[in-house]
Amino acid sequence: MSDSAPSPVLKRRTIGLAAATGAMFALIAGYLYLLQVVRGVEFRNLAIDVARREVAIPAQRGKIFERSYTLPLVTNRPAFSVDLIPGEVPAAELPHLLERLAAHLNMTPQQLAARIPRHQRHLFRPIELKRHVDFATIATLAEQIDSFPGVAWHSEPARDYGAIGALAHVTGYVGDVTREELQVLFNQGYAADSTLGKSGVEKQYEHELRGVDGIGHRTVDVRERAVSEIWQTAAAPRPGRDVVLTIDWDLQRAAQEALGPRVGSVVVLQPATGAILAMVSYPWFDPQTFIGDGGAAAFRALAADPSFPFVNRAIRSAYAPASVFKILMTTAIEEEGTFSRDYKIRCEGFLVYGDRIFKDWVKEGHGPIDLDDALAQSCDVYFYRAGSALGITSIAHYAHEFGLGTASGIDLPGEAVGNVPTPDWKRREHGEPWVGGDTVNLSIGQGYITVTPLQLANLVALVVNDGVIYRPHVVKEIRDGISGEIVSRTEREPIHTSAIGSGTLAFVRKAMRLVVTDGTALPVLTTDAVAVAGKTGTGEVGIEDHYHSWFAAYGPYDATDPLEQIVVVVMVEAVNVWEWWAPKAANLIFHAAFTGQTVPEAVAYLKPWYGEAVFNPLQPPAEEGAEEAAPADGAESAATDGSESDADGSESDADGSAAP
Amino acid sequence: MRGRGSLRALDPILLLASLALVAVGILFVYSSGVNSAGESVSNEWLKQIVWAGSGCVLLALFAVTNHQKYKPRTPYVFLGALAILVLTLLLGREVNGARSWLGVGDLGIQPSEFAKLATILFLAAYLSEIGNGIAELPRFLLALLVVTAPMGLILLQPDMGTGMVYFPIFLIMALIAGARIRHLLFVGLVAILTIVFATIPAVQRLRAAADPGFWRMITDVGVARYTLLVLGLVAALAAAGQRLFHRAYYYWLMYGAALLGVAVAGGLLMSMVLKEYQIMRLVIFVNPWVDPRGAGWNIIQSVTAVGAGGLSGTGFLQGTQSHLRYLPQQSTDFIFSILAEESGFLGGMLVLVLFGVVIGRGIVIMYAAGDEFATLVAAGIVAMLLFHTVVNVGMAMGVLPITGIPLMLVSYGGSSLWTALIGIGLLANIGLARARRGRARATVAGRAPLEPRRLLRP
Repeated sequence: MSDSAPSPVLKRRTIGLAAATGAMFALIAGYLYLLQVVRGVEFRNLAIDVARREVAIPAQRGKIFERSYTLPLVTNRPAFSVDLIPGEVPAAELPHLLERLAAHLNMTPQQLAARIPRHQRHLFRPIELKRHVDFATIATLAEQIDSFPGVAWHSEPARDYGAIGALAHVTGYVGDVTREELQVLFNQGYAADSTLGKSGVEKQYEHELRGVDGIGHRTVDVRERAVSEIWQTAAAPRPGRDVVLTIDWDLQRAAQEALGPRVGSVVVLQPATGAILAMVSYPWFDPQTFIGDGGAAAFRALAADPSFPFVNRAIRSAYAPASVFKILMTTAIEEEGTFSRDYKIRCEGFLVYGDRIFKDWVKEGHGPIDLDDALAQSCDVYFYRAGSALGITSIAHYAHEFGLGTASGIDLPGEAVGNVPTPDWKRREHGEPWVGGDTVNLSIGQGYITVTPLQLANLVALVVNDGVIYRPHVVKEIRDGISGEIVSRTEREPIHTSAIGSGTLAFVRKAMRLVVTDGTALPVLTTDAVAVAGKTGTGEVGIEDHYHSWFAAYGPYDATDPLEQIVVVVMVEAVNVWEWWAPKAANLIFHAAFTGQTVPEAVAYLKPWYGEAVFNPLQPPAEEGAEEAAPADGAESAATDGSESDADGSESDADGSAAP
Repeated sequence: MRGRGSLRALDPILLLASLALVAVGILFVYSSGVNSAGESVSNEWLKQIVWAGSGCVLLALFAVTNHQKYKPRTPYVFLGALAILVLTLLLGREVNGARSWLGVGDLGIQPSEFAKLATILFLAAYLSEIGNGIAELPRFLLALLVVTAPMGLILLQPDMGTGMVYFPIFLIMALIAGARIRHLLFVGLVAILTIVFATIPAVQRLRAAADPGFWRMITDVGVARYTLLVLGLVAALAAAGQRLFHRAYYYWLMYGAALLGVAVAGGLLMSMVLKEYQIMRLVIFVNPWVDPRGAGWNIIQSVTAVGAGGLSGTGFLQGTQSHLRYLPQQSTDFIFSILAEESGFLGGMLVLVLFGVVIGRGIVIMYAAGDEFATLVAAGIVAMLLFHTVVNVGMAMGVLPITGIPLMLVSYGGSSLWTALIGIGLLANIGLARARRGRARATVAGRAPLEPRRLLRP
């Protein structure tokens, strides 16, 4: 009996083993209780999170309308993105599939393969192969879907710029977000495949146009295979708001055609509100070509174009204002009483100042001439002397008074500021003291001063508005994308109120009218539809027979309703064959604006002025386009040291950084 | 002696609990093969049924075969197992980075599983042969050497998890055989410290900021040489002191120095032998969130699955972690996670209770075996089941490192299941012998004992 009674050591150790076993099981049970019962909810939520993927439901981008809100200019059209779900394609099959697919998508198999990272080839997460695929291609793929395993597509509306022509500079364009942009914008809900406005209104009003993407969720397994449909949460997508421009489409087209294929720009402004009615910059670009096949190549070609088609010359290029500056000078002389209105100066065709000779554009001189005639005839000698009498400080003061040297604050990105030179500025920039000759030069808008066409339009607006400049703007109102209700309206906002007396400005307006009725613009301003007042300008650039051509004007001169008045500024760069085109283009624009005629109709009516001129931008400019052998307004043959400091698109195109 | 009547004395609780675990295992092996669309995409559960059916036949065979018959043959079994392990190293198929499979085509076994049983049997025979001798250090070391042989071969595959099972098997068998606690403690501490020391370089690299100066004493081979030299000198001097003065503190000084020395040497060896990912497994378990998409992924997904189960689970086939495949190796290493997710705390507890019953019965059978060899075989099987259960469940709950050892009886896998069922069969037979002897005592009272008792005389 006693033989089978276990020894006390075995008993002790067995009890120890049993106790240790029990303790371990108790610990496990306790911890299991902690994990599953106490913290169960936490882990259940974690398990849901692990398998849940947020899916952005893209919002429709807002449309861009012209000012009447009846004509959409920029819209969205249906397009598709082709995706591949690599997990559904057997690894050995992938190269063949890509080869067949490449033929349909106008791409090479290598390009397609490069889009599929190797470490994602076993996943079921869709990878976008190509955007902006048209419906026909999708239909072809759909018919043969059995031979394209793993190929899928989703609707992704593409921007449709229609035929907006030169308005592309105003509307801008959209493109894929770049890595650098994403770093800044990531917290605003942009993703690596987002598109966003790159320039113009598309960029400036990105926030309104973009809308808010909706958020959906779906459950995926560990290989990212979707195991549920997308279900929407509280956040449905909110379409972007529509933007209504101040642009008048007829006027815009007239301005575009009137300028024709000449490097330069046109600004048409409603001075009473600051609304931009038309804005043209040549050369322009067609953003539609950036979308779809060859889009990136088209973009690169434009970005490398030496004529800088991406630069909106109306706001981004600053030039010497030349004789147009005499409007400002006339105002200053009259306001300061430097010379009385009737005080006549004898113009002998040149002025000797120190050891320099400043010439008048009329070699034999204008003879005795008073202030309004000096403006009308653009007499340089008069302004040389008046400018010297005024002095640089006073001229700079009036330049600032007219809003030069500062940004107008237009609702477009990338506005240039121009330059109003002062003695301090010259010392700082050039290390040389200001000399009297600089003031003489400045008096006729040459030398160091530069202005943008938009700034000149504001300068005229101040004269028209009796001393007020309203903020120029291209967007009239923002409307709800669905209901069309007005969300916000751009109110007119004075950005500059001048203390210049209204008597002075009335005198200046009269003098500007004299330019057209009995001055330099008489031969070209042939329209009988409207009384125009303005000023020509011809800037020397140091190339023989090539001049910048300016015309800054407004009309009707005798309007009773200020809302009827428009300011037109045309700038034609010196790279073009000399045609003295700026006042001619303005003539057409004024005529078209106040008769409702198209440019060809206006040309037909206003003959013989435009007999051989070129209007179709698709044709190269004619070699012998100019009727005038010599500039009517004359080049201010002053001893200038380079007539421009900041012109001709010398700022390279900053937009060109991102290919769409 | 053997008759039909005696078979009825097979321990019904042990067998029922074991079979219940096998059934639960088949259910969740099936569940693990169901994909997110609710389709069964794996035939593992069918294979598992085949393994279970054949395993039950093996169980029955071992349950009715007198375990005493194996005792004289254990050396051959053991040597055969070692030979197969060597063969596996040479010809085996590599699965998951370890050369642990031996077989032709799809048919194959993991010899390391069966080697556990062979080692248990041989060690039991050896220990029962030497009797009290285990209390002496040389015999103890010799016994240790017995398990170190298969363990070393398995670590070379390298399959750290399966290799480590030999430690608790040895410790518990030696404990029951009457080894001295200080010897067992020495082996246990050396094992733990070796692992700690082997992971220190990796931990240092992860923390980056910590000053490695101190740890270089044990991690940098160049410096550790001197550490080992000093520890060896201390141990030698202490040993001399012990011999001369017979003071207890000399003994413990030597004990400590030797312990540290062996652990440092072992740690260096381990960090050289083990692959980077195996070291990382050990490290990651300390803080899985250092690398949530990489090495920590398994632990995080497993803990999430277990926790998401809640009190009553997400329902059979309804677990998202498992069916969306976030859970890796869900039919083998992480079967407890899918079980806990789908059947919750209640299901998890049921499985734990069943294991508690099996191991508890095993301890009872071990205690009452009445024969030293039988007691030690039972102890080895109990140790094997206990270690697998605790480590596997602990790993699923994220409190123990991922060692890649299956949950015996439950996890998918023929070798593991057969080994477990054979083990249960052996336990049942040992229990049967006890019951038989009890009845014999009742019927043939006063008869002389079958064998003289030598076990564990104090």
